[in-house]
Amino acid sequence: MAKKTTEGEATEARERRSWGREVRFLALFVGLLAAAFTFISWTPVNDRVIEPFTAGIARASGVTLDLLGQDVEMRGTVIESPRFAVNIRNGCNGVEAMLIFLSAVLAFPAPWRSRALGLLLGVAVIQLVNLLRVVALFLTGAYFPSWFDTSHTVVWQTVVILSGVVLWIFWADRLARPRSAAPAAS
Amino acid sequence: MARRRTSGAETEGAFSFRRFGIGLAAAALPVAAVWLALTPTYNRFLVGAGENVVHLLESPDVTGLLPSLDDRNYAYITRSDFPPARRRVTSFRVTDLHFNLVLLGTLFLAVPGVPWRRRLENLGWGLLAAVFFHLLLVLFRVEFVYATQLGAWSHDHYGPFARNFWGLGKHLLDLPLKLAFPFVMWAAFYLRRLGVGVIPTS
Repeated sequence: MAKKTTEGEATEARERRSWGREVRFLALFVGLLAAAFTFISWTPVNDRVIEPFTAGIARASGVTLDLLGQDVEMRGTVIESPRFAVNIRNGCNGVEAMLIFLSAVLAFPAPWRSRALGLLLGVAVIQLVNLLRVVALFLTGAYFPSWFDTSHTVVWQTVVILSGVVLWIFWADRLARPRSAAPAAS
Repeated sequence: MARRRTSGAETEGAFSFRRFGIGLAAAALPVAAVWLALTPTYNRFLVGAGENVVHLLESPDVTGLLPSLDDRNYAYITRSDFPPARRRVTSFRVTDLHFNLVLLGTLFLAVPGVPWRRRLENLGWGLLAAVFFHLLLVLFRVEFVYATQLGAWSHDHYGPFARNFWGLGKHLLDLPLKLAFPFVMWAAFYLRRLGVGVIPTS
């Protein structure tokens, strides 16, 4: 009886330790995310880093649209054609999804090498999906304008964030852990 | 081999990324369809309940949130203490506050190896948390408008700290935290399945 209680207590203690890591992950994740967003909202960072980055995304999107036969011109963060014009702003530059991914990678207990690999992979894939979003939104605005609002705020935001989350789950499941640390199967 | 016993009484399968991907593809469209169908009802609920939440911070209760008659996705913020011509302060897109439910539902239903009953139970808790989060978003949306968007009136009624609090709070809630909310809820329920509890911290 006394032995059972000791085993039960040990299991409970293990459970508590394990939940503690989950709580730590979530607290770290939310803290990093809030800190990162507060930092990029700071005017000097926004003006010197985020705006030029967004202009770069506008240029890449404009070049892609040009390749697709759209007669577009670019001015800073604005892409315009005779049919439609968009201004790429914060929220449409993929930075949100990148920071969510980055915070999750840094908060997850993993070797730094795996984290670096995850960050490189994540930034590349998220920006690729975001490029697809901007191009698709421009074409939606030009040819199906009544769908633009829903497509802009609901469909593509969900797709970009979902791609970041799925990528993180892939990284955490496949790349973040040493193989010997995988949960034991019984 | 692929099954392991978790802390609960139920036996659950190990996490499989391939099955998770299939689950995502299968769940996304049905979840989006249900969300679209329920959006008008949920918009009305959020506008009504959100108005009550805003009233908790004001005396007398002057704020009104009215669903738009022209577009069911929008609601008006009104103040009964403003002159009639300015009573309708601004409008906002209510649907934008809760489209993260699509992501939440898809992620929760796609998890492989968890009995359906458990999945739906966890989704229920996630949705309940989401309702409180959306009400918080409504509150911050309204207070952000009052504190920062009404020119001299904002300066007269909100100090520098309050303006920054509601401004930064709305910014953080409306972009990163709204977008990350489904992931946070998913991680709270399912992070264990990715083995976070057994990994030595780096």
